[in-house]
Amino acid sequence: MGIILEKLPGVTKGLPGGELLLTTADAFIDFGRKMSLWPMTFGLACCAIEMMGSYASRFDFDRMGVIPRPSPRQADVMIVAGTVCKKMAEPILEIYHQMPEPRFVISMGSCANCGGPYYDSYSVLKGVDRIVPVDVYVAGCPPRPEALQFAVLKLQDKIAGMRAIERGAGATLQQERGSRDVLSAVPNDEPLPKPASGPRLELR
Amino acid sequence: MADIEELASRIAEKLPELSRHPNPVKGYLTLKLEDAAKLPQAAAALKALGFDYLEMISATDWLGAVKPEGYIRNPNPIVFLPEGATPQSVPSATPGFPYRPSFELLWAFADLAAKAWVFLKCEVSREAASVPSLSGLYKGADWQERELFDLMGIRFEGHPNLAKILTPDFLVGHPLRKDYVHVKDRFDE
Repeated sequence: MGIILEKLPGVTKGLPGGELLLTTADAFIDFGRKMSLWPMTFGLACCAIEMMGSYASRFDFDRMGVIPRPSPRQADVMIVAGTVCKKMAEPILEIYHQMPEPRFVISMGSCANCGGPYYDSYSVLKGVDRIVPVDVYVAGCPPRPEALQFAVLKLQDKIAGMRAIERGAGATLQQERGSRDVLSAVPNDEPLPKPASGPRLELR
Repeated sequence: MADIEELASRIAEKLPELSRHPNPVKGYLTLKLEDAAKLPQAAAALKALGFDYLEMISATDWLGAVKPEGYIRNPNPIVFLPEGATPQSVPSATPGFPYRPSFELLWAFADLAAKAWVFLKCEVSREAASVPSLSGLYKGADWQERELFDLMGIRFEGHPNLAKILTPDFLVGHPLRKDYVHVKDRFDE
């Protein structure tokens, strides 16, 4: 309790006696989400080695609540670590759609950001953001584990501002189908509908 | 490693039509196969001599000038064609220089017990590049030949399933050919 009061002075309030804590539902949900970001175990190239280094004891991703999961059904965040080949693009999209919402994507390294050194290649996708929406980009070739951990901190900042109940829960259509629909004939420039505003929860 | 000259004489008894290649692979015994149609007989004879492991099949696209002075210095033609366009061959011959429009194929046979290796080189024309398949003799040839077909466009006659193995289905052409021009697909700009 003391830790929570220290860490979240603005959004929580301890009642006299210390047994009860008042906070908003949004702050509570965002806190839960951002402190247990479970990534999909999924590596494509050499960046995955740095990702494994982050998970291991020297850099210890567990202390941020980042525990790799073996199934997309249990994962919150997909770390695209490595070169995305065009042949791999559709499996990545499938894995992305198998993850439960809300789902986040970290694009790790130059290849996943923009194609990197393989920009002129016939077989490499020029950035994973062409098929899935990306929340955080990490620069580097490959990025150090510290850089990946900083990206997770940035994603935590982003999640802390989600305020699902206040702003409406549920994914936007863009999050639902990815930033670019590569599997069907839907034109890319079709305007995406605005997200429906969810029910407002009055806390007072 | 077995003595190369002794090995060469042993193979020459069985396969007199193979000559020593003027450009050998490192220090290994490298033989030249003049006619690609004779490959199955040569491979069968090598297998009978103990070379029962096909280590690799490789190919080189020698399209272009033989000497460095003959290389084209023009700016590279457009890398990307519009979607649906037919890939065109880019001109690769500079007038007045010798020109080599051929694939050089290389087979590496190994006798693991005797620690001996034999390399077989064979030059085929780029147009209608086709050699007999070894997948009946050596099971390991299957995927190697599919890979060469996929990346270089060399047909292996008699292969049971000569299909793409590495590149995605929508990729047109054979990317490791020197005259490969990329056709825009749905993942390109």
